[in-house]
Order: sequence, then structure tokens, then C-alpha cells
Amino acid sequence: MAGLYLHIPFCRQACSYCDFYFTTRQDLREPFVDALLNEIGYRAETGFPGAALRTVYFGGGTPSRLPAGSVGRLLDAVRELMAPGPFEEVTLEANPDDITPAALSEWKAAGVTRLSLGVQSFDAELLGFMHRAHDARQAVEAITRVKEAGFASYTVDLIYGNPGQTDAVLERDLETLLALEPPHVSAYALTVEPRTRLGRAVEAGRLKAPDDTVAARHMERAATVLAGAGLARYEVSNFARPGHEALHNARYWKHVPYLGLGPGAHSFDGRRRWENARDLHAYLASAGVGIASVPEHLSDSQLAEERLLMGFRTREGITRTELADRYGYRFSPSAQAALDRFRTEGWLEDDGDRIRLLPAGFALADALVLRLV
Amino acid sequence: MAGLFPDHSNFMKRIRNFCIIAHIDHGKSTLADRLLERTGAITEREMQDQVLDDMDLERERGITIKSHAVKMDYVTRAGEKYVFNLIDTPGHVDFAYEVSRALKACEGAILVVDASQGVEAQTISNLYQAIEQGLEIIPVLNKIDLPGAEPEAVAQQIIDLIGCKREDILAVSGKTGLGVDDLLEEVVKRVPPPGGDDDAPLQALIFDSVFNSYRGSVVYVRIDNGTLRRGEKIRFMNAGREYVADEIGYLRLKNEPCDKLTAGEVGYIIGSVKTLQDTKVGDTVTSVARPAAHVIPGYKEVKPMVFSGIFPTNSEEFESLRAALEKLQLNDASLQFSPETSVALGFGFRAGFLGMLHMEIIQERLDREFNMDIITTVPNVGYQVKLTDGSMIEVDNPSELPNPGKIDTIYEPYIKAQIITPAEYIGAVMTLCQERRGQFKNTSYLDTKRVDITYELPLAEVVFDFYDKLKSNTRGYASLDYEFIGNRPGEMVKLDILLNGDPVDALSTIVHRDKAYDWGRKLCSKLKELIPRQMFEVVIQAAIGAKIISRDSVRALRKDVLAKCYGGDISRKRKLLEKQKEGKKRMKQVGAVEIPQEAFLAVLSMDQG
Repeated sequence: MAGLYLHIPFCRQACSYCDFYFTTRQDLREPFVDALLNEIGYRAETGFPGAALRTVYFGGGTPSRLPAGSVGRLLDAVRELMAPGPFEEVTLEANPDDITPAALSEWKAAGVTRLSLGVQSFDAELLGFMHRAHDARQAVEAITRVKEAGFASYTVDLIYGNPGQTDAVLERDLETLLALEPPHVSAYALTVEPRTRLGRAVEAGRLKAPDDTVAARHMERAATVLAGAGLARYEVSNFARPGHEALHNARYWKHVPYLGLGPGAHSFDGRRRWENARDLHAYLASAGVGIASVPEHLSDSQLAEERLLMGFRTREGITRTELADRYGYRFSPSAQAALDRFRTEGWLEDDGDRIRLLPAGFALADALVLRLV
Repeated sequence: MAGLFPDHSNFMKRIRNFCIIAHIDHGKSTLADRLLERTGAITEREMQDQVLDDMDLERERGITIKSHAVKMDYVTRAGEKYVFNLIDTPGHVDFAYEVSRALKACEGAILVVDASQGVEAQTISNLYQAIEQGLEIIPVLNKIDLPGAEPEAVAQQIIDLIGCKREDILAVSGKTGLGVDDLLEEVVKRVPPPGGDDDAPLQALIFDSVFNSYRGSVVYVRIDNGTLRRGEKIRFMNAGREYVADEIGYLRLKNEPCDKLTAGEVGYIIGSVKTLQDTKVGDTVTSVARPAAHVIPGYKEVKPMVFSGIFPTNSEEFESLRAALEKLQLNDASLQFSPETSVALGFGFRAGFLGMLHMEIIQERLDREFNMDIITTVPNVGYQVKLTDGSMIEVDNPSELPNPGKIDTIYEPYIKAQIITPAEYIGAVMTLCQERRGQFKNTSYLDTKRVDITYELPLAEVVFDFYDKLKSNTRGYASLDYEFIGNRPGEMVKLDILLNGDPVDALSTIVHRDKAYDWGRKLCSKLKELIPRQMFEVVIQAAIGAKIISRDSVRALRKDVLAKCYGGDISRKRKLLEKQKEGKKRMKQVGAVEIPQEAFLAVLSMDQG
């Protein structure tokens, strides 16, 4: 099984925290779709050395900014040239301000099965701080429309741990969100990335970096409230009702190959990683086929470490059998000692083969991995 | 050479052995380069700036670490041929003994003073040594071409200092070569030829030695009396070792073998000497067949003044570290080390150095020449400890300090510091010296603007940041020189650092009782900055014996996980992990607490006020 990721680098405006590749040059959208179609054809010919594609993910940027009809054209090309389908999941990221009944029916007809809604918050002040293009009312309306349009699966993004965000604001966000009964929620701690407006403000001292203690408390609170509403935490930041877990994203965490197309997209074939340059102009100039980096070959131990990094983020954790079979990897005595210590603290469960972090341990997943390698 | 001077007593009259005395940056090396050029000892093509300083480190720091010598042929304006031996001297207080031996090999000294900077402390102390040893001084104003030069004022300082006449002072520019020809003529006129008797038993002074991996020790000597012949059996009188002088010769830019060296000459000896430990600076070389009755006076064993632990970052590299230190020791007899074990840092060595600069040089050479990744512990001075049973022990490692109950008195090393500063900074200098437990001795005005201040200070108060503080308190104008004057009783205590209750031996220090509280508080708060958050709270305590005098803590890690991790983030995340792994390798573990190596040098980055 493999996944296909399509990066759509257009945004109405720049969110203060986002470091994905995007541009606000709306006039380049048509030529971009042509280039992407060309890249699909090119990759289909050269062949992606993974298994057949079963999931498609339109990420961004803002895929809901694609010109009308484009989603259908792109999916048709994928079906025709790369994989006949049917797909197990086709996700499209959309911003609330782009959710119109017309757009929804177009996407549905094209084969999109799941929408990912960039809501982030229902708090006017926070939305302003994040420099989002929508307001709280639009967010609620968008979710309602998605449900009405018959999308059985969709997810809503929330961001917590913002500078100055009080516990009460988080509680209200969770309350508003859960009243809409979403089948899936992604709740993220705000991360300060250097090449963003937020990053620069923090670096210049204009803004205080999010407080670690507040973020930890928010994370714990969000997990508790969401679990209480029947949304189980199956990954550090992802919560779903049974059967609504993201299939495409799970490929990253399970080390399954994926092909990424579009500027700034990353690919992994099980052994090698490469990326397309974050440069729309170069992408257009080369009709989508000239900006892939030289693949980086990963050693077994690098792969094993990645598997640990990703695996411990998930509810399933990792198994010693898989690590040994796939990468010939075994834990050192000091790694075992770290595992034992985490177990004693009540942060993980270890049945001798499978090791998985418990809710209390998710917040320390990276700290654990550092102690294992 | 004998062909040039058939009559030997005439030959000796044509030798001039001299050195250059200067403060760092006053242009000694540049001037030396000009002398080499003018005498044809070096061609333009060979000319590399400051050829005498041939270690990279020396060139970068602009200081001479090891002294060297070079022979030059000089023809005077009157057409007479002379042999010059320029003996280079190290320019740092850490190497004061080596300086004294190099001076001993000379009859004259060129005193170089920067015409814009004036006389500095180091110039004075070396100058006094040279005068004491009876050297003829040729005062020279250097850098007279610089815009800030004040030749008259500085000349007056020199006159006050050595009592010469104004017209005795030469003016040169090492940079442009101006005045260098006159200087060479003056060397012939003013520096007396060496004395000594070719026919007396051999007495040769070792003023330096270097290690060559193919030839063993290369010993630099000045023949005081007698004649050294190639193939002769020789004895190092203080070391009590005998060797055969397989090769002897003159010190050109490259060694130039010859058959004999006679009284007054300067040259080298190679004799399959495996280690520099046998060829100590200041020792006397004599002939086994016809030994001299006594040694040349002034020899002493160089004792390290500053000690620190050196540990491999990776404990598996202990043996490579030993090999590296042994190799360095071949080249540097003043480096001493012995194995040491630390709970925190594992197996390593306790090393003794002449001073802080010497220590830094060794650390850098371990890094550059041997690629060793090391952790060094906070340096300390050596203490003499009188125990209650009346016995005396030497302690160069805080962890070896006996229990207070067993200690009668601790003696700490004192130095006499000579500080030269513009008069307006007297107050600042004296305040600093008082803070460092100094005892005021004397001030004297060099001229109306500059003061020479003498203090006696505990060496422990000087080794860390005294010099930096002195410089910053005087806007860079003050200069410092010091000499060891003896050990004195001091109210010293051992200050321990505990992490979650476990003492960290490598962080123990010996400090004065009056400073212990302040020291402990600052050290705890510095460690709080340097120790990363861990899975649990880390309590940092400073203690004297069982008494806790300060406490701080590092909060437990609450959250350490990337918020999002999708396609593009994975390689980023892996690279971050790989970087963290490298960082982790450099961490040391005490109990369950992981300590970064910077923490072991925390004291050095502390503001001691």
C-alpha cells in the first residue's frame, strides 16, 4: 500500500505560525494545475517504486483554493495514469471561508471522501492572532455544511498553547467543537517555526514563546475532554471515533511509502527520501518535473530510529518483532533501562514485544526516543 | 666556519648572542623577521611572516610559546664578518623559567618597546631579569611609523627604567624595516662577545629542547666552556643521563650539522634521547671523558602551578588520550599528568600546567593535533596541607582534600603581581586586587601618567579571570606580570556540588571560606542554566561538608513531543534526533542526572565579581 500527497501551495493570506510552503499569488493557480498534471504523468511513467496507491491527500497551502474543476481533473489523471482506484481515502484540506455548497458537491463528485477543516479556534482574538482568513461563525457554518453535504468523514484542526491563551478559551473551543460532533479532531500545540511571522516575532523578543507548562496542561486537558466525547487518541495530536482514523496520515507513522507531488512535497519509497524544492516558479518553469532533490538513502539504523520516532506517536506503538524483521534493530541494555523507567512511571506499556505509550506518556514521546537511540 | 676565522680567539670576538625582550604585540616577531632577512638567513621566497613562531597556535595567538634560536651571518658596514645567534624567548608569564634560561644563553638583549603603547609589566620583569644576569641592553622604539606613536614620552620611560641616554635609544619599524640596519651595527658595537675557554671541560647550557619523532630530542645549547665534538659521549649533569652526541650543528632555519661547537657558540645536539624528560631546560651538558667540576647555576625543576582533570568525552578513548598526552609531553617537558578516576567523568588524567595559557594551549593541541574530544574540569592551584598528625601532603585535586577533621593548616600558593596601569585606573586596579584577597605592597610612578603597582595575591584568585577583569577595568591599558613567591596559610574549604543528593566529584572546588557562600550560590544558578530539563526535577545543592549552603533546581520536563509529524517533518525530525544523539554522547551521567560537559567548566564562565 502507498499514499499520494499533492501539495497545493496557494493561500488567501499568510497564517502567522505556518511554515508549509505557500504563496498568495492566486494568478498562478491555473498554470500550477497544468504543471501538477504533468508531474503526475511523469511520475507515472518513471514509476514510483512503492505498492499501488490507495490513498490521496490534497494538502497545502490551501487545496480549497484550487480553481473549480481542478480536483476532479487531478484525481482523474491519477486514476488514469497511476492507480485505477477505488481509493480507500481521498482527503482534501479546506479552509472554512472556502466551504460553499457548490464546492462541496464538486469535491464529492470528484471522489473526495474526507475533508480536513483548518478551523484552529472559534475565539475571535485567537483567530486574529493566528491571522486566519475566517471568523468563528464561518467555522461553525462550514462544519455544518460539510455534514449536510454528506461527508461521512471529516476532521477539524485545533491549535492550543498559544501565547496568552487561557484555559477558559481552550475549554470554550473544545465545547463549541464537540457540540458539532465531529468524527475526527487534530489538536496541535502551537509550534514556533523560525521562518514564520510568529518565529520572527519571538526571536525579536516582540512576543513571548508559548509556555511549555501551559502547552503541557492544554494538551492533557484537550486529550481528556476529547476522549470523554468518544474521540480516542490514536496519535499524539489525532483523535477519532472508531473507524474514522486517518488512513493517509497513518502511512507516515507506519513507515509506509508515499509519493509527494507539487513544490515542497516530500516522498519516501521505503528506503529513500526526497523532496521537491519549495519554489513555485522553478516548478512551473520545469513543468513540475525538475525540482526533485537527490534522494537520500537511509540506513537500517536510520530507518529504525524513524520508525521509533513515528511509532511511539501512535496508539499501536511499535513491536520488537517489526523492528527486528524490517531493520534488524534491537534495543540496547541502556534503551531497555529507559523503557523500564518509563514503564515504572506509568508512561508506557510493554508486553515484551509491543511497546506503546500510555496517555500520560504521549507528551514525552520524543524524550523517550532520545533515550532509546 | 673555522676557515673564516683561523685564529680562534678572534672567532669568539666575532660572536654575538642576544635575544629580544618585548611585550606581546610590541612587534618582537616582526622585528626578528627583518633581522633574518637583512642578514640573508632567509630569502624572500622563504619568508613567511614571523618565521620563528612555527607552531600554528603561536602564529594565531601572536605569541611565542616555545623559544627558538637561529644563527645569522652578518657583515658590518666596515666589511667585517660576524656570527649572530638570535635566541627567541617565550612571551608569557607561564614560561618565566624558560625565559630566564634563554637570557642566560645571551650577552645582550634588544629591548623592544612599542612607541605607542609604552613600557608594560611583562617588559619590565623580563628586562630586570636580563639586567640581573648582566646582559647589555639595547633599547629600541618600535612601530615609530604608527600614527599614535609617542616616541619622546616612551623614550623617557625607557630612560627612567634603565638609566640610559636618549641617544642610546634606537628607533625602528619592524614593519617597514626602517632603522634595522643601524640596529644590526649596534648589536656588534654594544653586545659583548662571549667569554669562556675552549680548552676547559665542556659546560653547555640547555636553553630549550624540541622533540622530533624521527630523531628524538633535539637539544638547543649554548657552550659556556670547552668544545663539544661530534660522536662524543656526553652527560646531562642534573638529569644524570649519558648519551652519544650523534649529530651536532648550528641552528639555521634548518639544522646545519658540523663537527664541533666551541665556547660561545650556540647549536643543537641530537643523541637518540627518547624523551624530553631527560633534556630539561637549564641542565648542563658535559663530556663524559672529561667532565666539568660543577653545573651551570640556576637549574630548577619546573613545577606545575595549575591543575585540571582531562577526560575523554567518549570513555573508550582513554588510551588514545594517554597516547596523545604522552606525545605532547615529548615536546613539552613541563606538562605533567597522572591517571585520575571520577565518578562523573570516568577514567581520565589529572594534568599539571605552568599556568592558564599553558593549559589552554595543551587543550587546543589535544583538539587540533590529536582530534581528541575532551572534557576538562575546573582548574585549581596546588595546595600544601599540614595534617593534624604533623605530616605534610600536596593536594592538586579537590577530591583528594582530606576531611576537615584531619587538616591542621592549608597553605596556598601566593604570587607577587606587578601591574602597570595608567594613573587614572589605580583605584580600579586596587579594588580588584582587594576583592581577590590581595595584599598591597607598593606603587611607583613610571612617569606622570603610568603607575607600577605591586600586590601579593593568592594564585588561585589570579588564575581564572583576573587578567580579563584587569583588562576590562582599565579599558585594556593595564598589563600584568607575576612570579611565585611561596605558600601561605589560607582559610580554604572544599565546596561540593550535589545533584539530587549525589556529589559530583568533578565539580568540587577548593575556595576561601569567605567566598564559599557567594561562590556556591553562583555556581548553583549557573548549573541551573546549563543542565537541561530531565524526566524528573533536578535539585542542585552546594555544600561544605554536610552543610548545604545553597540550593536551586531544574524543573522536570513536562512535554517533549513534536506537535505535528507528517511527510516533510520526518527527515527534519530525524536530523534533529541525530543532532540530539550527538549532544547526548557528550552528556555525562551522575546518578540518574545527565550533565552536559559545559557544566564542568561552569565556574569559568561565572562572574566572580
